[in-house]
Amino acid sequence: MKRISVTVSLNRNMLQFDEAAYARLEQYLAESASLLEGDPDPQEILNDLEQAVADQCTRRMAAGQTIVTPAQLEPALAEIGAVQVPNGATASEPLAREPGPDAARPLRQISEGAVISGVCQGIARYFALDVTLLRVIAVLLLLGTGGGMIPVYLALMLLMPYAPLETGGKPLRWLPARSRRFVEFLRAKLGVERTGNIPA
Amino acid sequence: MEHKLAPIRKGLLEFLVLKIVGARRVYVPDILRRLADTEFATQEGTLYPLLSKLRREELVMYEWKESDAGPPRKYYRLTEAGKAQLAALDQYWNRINGTIAAIGH
Repeated sequence: MKRISVTVSLNRNMLQFDEAAYARLEQYLAESASLLEGDPDPQEILNDLEQAVADQCTRRMAAGQTIVTPAQLEPALAEIGAVQVPNGATASEPLAREPGPDAARPLRQISEGAVISGVCQGIARYFALDVTLLRVIAVLLLLGTGGGMIPVYLALMLLMPYAPLETGGKPLRWLPARSRRFVEFLRAKLGVERTGNIPA
Repeated sequence: MEHKLAPIRKGLLEFLVLKIVGARRVYVPDILRRLADTEFATQEGTLYPLLSKLRREELVMYEWKESDAGPPRKYYRLTEAGKAQLAALDQYWNRINGTIAAIGH
């Protein structure tokens, strides 16, 4: 014996779904509900979406067809799209940028606003982390390793290219400016690349 | 480049939806169709949550209207507060457009 179809009430539209389509629909609605968590009125939106699914599937069914299959449901869901929560609707706004490396944010030291040379700022930007957090970690490592972090920092300072300075930007603080000049002097001596121009 | 443009469009979508709803009474397929061939083409999954938010902010309201096929449909229109907000947004948009055009010359 095999169950052929499931009767579904979508915002009070009665439709027959086959097992595969039913499973997919359940998944889509569950995803939508979880995306709407925190929305003060999720039920209204879910009803609207159910209505949209019913309309889209009905429109895609051939004459005489009585059971919705994934052949109708998949394009219907693709047209409806995943739930997007509008700005300011919930307290938990998604991060403006995804954490993790990104070609638009290459690993570079950033001299502007740096404490020493800009290594922490560069790493923070690369991983989309809070720079203060990185600095705290750096200080803890410095203390925890009994100064063992100092050569590591110096190595990073020498190896990580500098992001180009903002043209017409504020003058650098004393230490970052010296560090940058010193590193560039050393690199010139050693014949290595002097500044990191962000690749186009 | 796209990752810089997408937030601009996202921010302006609400303004455009207010404009469309303000022009005449519409239901969701009208809004989708109106935006389909523009940079702001969108989907029901985006529009329903946005309209729900606008309704909660009392900028739009809807009424149920019978349709030829299926259950009644929601027809949206602006409230007085919605009209006022649309006018304010329009004015603001013109102002920043002027600023953008004027700056750097």
